[in-house]
Amino acid sequence: MDVLPLVSSLLYQFGSGAAFFFLAAVGLVIILGMMNIINLAHGELMMVGAYTATISNHAGIPFPVCVILGFFVAAAFGAVLELLIVRRFYGRELGALVVTWGISLVLGQGTLLFFGPFMPSIKIPGGSFSYGDFSFSAYWLILILVSLLLIFVLWWIYNRTTYGLQAKATMQNAEMAKSLGVPTNRIYTLTFSFGAGLAGLSGALLAPTVTIAPFMGQQFVAPAFITVVVGGATNVIAGAVGSSALLVAIKTPIGMALGSFSGTVALLLAALIIIRIMPNGISAPLQRFFDRRARGGVL
Amino acid sequence: MTKQSGKQPDQGASKAKSSTGDTTPDAVETGTSGTGIGRRQFMAGTAATVTAATVLPNIRMAKAQSSGPVKIGHIEDLSGNLAVYGVQKYHAAQLAVKEINEGKTLKGGPVGSGGLGAMGQFAAKPPVMGNGDKDLKFVDDGGALSGSGMAFIQDQDVLVDSGESGLLGREVELLAPDGQSNNNIWQQLTRRLIQEDEVDCLVAGFTSAEREAIRPIVDQHKQLYIYTNQYEGGVADSNTFCTGAICEQQVIPVVDYMIQKFGPRVYTIAADYNFGQLTAAWTKAFAPLVGGEIIEEEFVPLSVSDFTTSIARIQAAKPDWVFTLLVGTNQSNYYPQAAAAGLEYPMASTVNMAQGYEHRRFKAPSLNRMYNCVNYIEEVPTARNRAFVKRWYEMFPDDPYIGQMAQNTYFSVHLYAKAARLAGTTEQEAVKKALESGLSIEAPEGAVFLEPSTHHCSHYIRLATADAQHNVSFVREWPSIQPWWLQRVGVNLVRNKEYKQYIPDEDPFFSMFSKS
Repeated sequence: MDVLPLVSSLLYQFGSGAAFFFLAAVGLVIILGMMNIINLAHGELMMVGAYTATISNHAGIPFPVCVILGFFVAAAFGAVLELLIVRRFYGRELGALVVTWGISLVLGQGTLLFFGPFMPSIKIPGGSFSYGDFSFSAYWLILILVSLLLIFVLWWIYNRTTYGLQAKATMQNAEMAKSLGVPTNRIYTLTFSFGAGLAGLSGALLAPTVTIAPFMGQQFVAPAFITVVVGGATNVIAGAVGSSALLVAIKTPIGMALGSFSGTVALLLAALIIIRIMPNGISAPLQRFFDRRARGGVL
Repeated sequence: MTKQSGKQPDQGASKAKSSTGDTTPDAVETGTSGTGIGRRQFMAGTAATVTAATVLPNIRMAKAQSSGPVKIGHIEDLSGNLAVYGVQKYHAAQLAVKEINEGKTLKGGPVGSGGLGAMGQFAAKPPVMGNGDKDLKFVDDGGALSGSGMAFIQDQDVLVDSGESGLLGREVELLAPDGQSNNNIWQQLTRRLIQEDEVDCLVAGFTSAEREAIRPIVDQHKQLYIYTNQYEGGVADSNTFCTGAICEQQVIPVVDYMIQKFGPRVYTIAADYNFGQLTAAWTKAFAPLVGGEIIEEEFVPLSVSDFTTSIARIQAAKPDWVFTLLVGTNQSNYYPQAAAAGLEYPMASTVNMAQGYEHRRFKAPSLNRMYNCVNYIEEVPTARNRAFVKRWYEMFPDDPYIGQMAQNTYFSVHLYAKAARLAGTTEQEAVKKALESGLSIEAPEGAVFLEPSTHHCSHYIRLATADAQHNVSFVREWPSIQPWWLQRVGVNLVRNKEYKQYIPDEDPFFSMFSKS
């Protein structure tokens, strides 16, 4: 077997795996990482985005528009959930955990009742091309690029906009932010809704690659939580990017050599070890590194 | 989390506990289903279970004479990872119960043991070729449809009057709680249906893990239990009747065909639990017999939904065809992902397409060149099946598909009614004896014969395949394949009671021909 195709296949697997983890986690990064709400309805928010995209795609709307629709429908959903339910549970982590679990059950079962046990999927956009023994899906390459774009957009929103500043202030110290004139209630609603919208967006993006079914969201919950927890809360975006890249860098070569079962075991073991030696996630040392470089005047 | 009584989506089918006022002790429920209980309480519960086990049969004997409805307990997954299969099976049971209550039954009856001659009918007149009798078929000894060979004819009108409304003058009632794709909940529901509802027959089980989770409870209470799924084979249990197809009926024909048509190098990718492991073992044992070789086996956990690495491994191994034994919503993602990555190997399976209707759920050509030896698939072109499909969609117009195991559930419920009529009672030991009398039933797939000594069924097997547009066609047919493996290992449940599952390792035959 030629070396070059194998290396490019490994790189492709790494990229698409990391993109999968990042997309699964991106909504939870905001809701768990920033707002500290253990959102067990995360998978169902992704499901809302996927269903929106699938239904609108079957109605003849072009796929990119469907993805954007997925974002807005899930965001609206998130806003309603926040206003009606979630806002009563800020600061009560276990209460939020139970109530979001309840929401996830209602959403999953409700979807089963209204839409039946499955929905025909969307055809994966883009074709495939091959190199050596291996072939590659164009759509996954697009997903890798979209993930990179999302990382940049998130960084820009939370570091360069007034909303981003106010949101960070609110999450760090709501009382102080309020006394400085930040409309904290609205910031909470907006942030939860934005997190839900991102979950919907990634659900819509992943919809062509997965089965569209009422309980499809559950497959994303474990990867999402692992990514966010390993990433840590110090710098949620850098943490999510770093942890998805690191975990997949361990999973891919082991999975390729020994099979996907061993790959999954290796990934979980790695997550266990990382959390043991870095209880605050990998974003804590990453942030220290950034800070030191900033003080040294390099960055 | 262990209490599930508030969450049943079935509308009215699951009746509230009948107020029997007998001795079914509540302690049994708390003792055996609770998780956070103290040791002392647990001991008390276990003691109560033991008492109940000895007392219950007598109670049931007495109750069997009563004139209430005949209760059929039915557990399937109406939510969760496996809901895509469970809802179909639930609807199948509802359809069969409705037909029984309306005074209908499927043709068939006790015919004694035997093969095709006992079950089907030989052609009533000499074969006419060309534009002759279109319903007449010929199979050569390999099973392929051909111009000469054994001729047989099938009755096409199989739903007939039973002569009574309901069963033995009583209405049939379906109690169908939701297993939620969770083995713990399956165990609780099984206890509830047996101990509180005292069902006359239990029809339940999608995955082998679910079946093995509840079979000890079934055996403890000597409950008549029908498992209607296709599975890996090997269950020899005096209380259990397995009406789905098994490996010798599905794996051998399809592996033989694939190796002849596409080549000897096989890559197996299977769900990582007893079904996937044991079916892969069958494949490994039989591929060498027909000149094939398993170049790689990969077992995938049920939670895996990203197949990028598996796809790259398959490409690196360069097989002639891929044997996919993937189960559940997560794992069916394999098909669109493999198609998007340009993986174009022919595929074979015993479950995909016939159970999860992947050819309807995923856009073409994800399932292009998929081959599966099925005992049923909605597309079976016979008149009796078209009539069955029509009846189904009249009752459930919004259903997406009728799968293999849904048809099995449908004829199994009718088969139970036939056996109970033969026994003249719903008393469970008598019905089990009646089921062991050599019953055949004209199911939508064709004639099915319940083999008494192993409690498994012969099936009409068709090799179905999907093309690039996902149209299903049938390339070979075997009008009757016997479930012979348990006979090979010496099981005779009529003579000797057994309560175990045999695995291929217990048969030296399985290692005889494989190289490793």
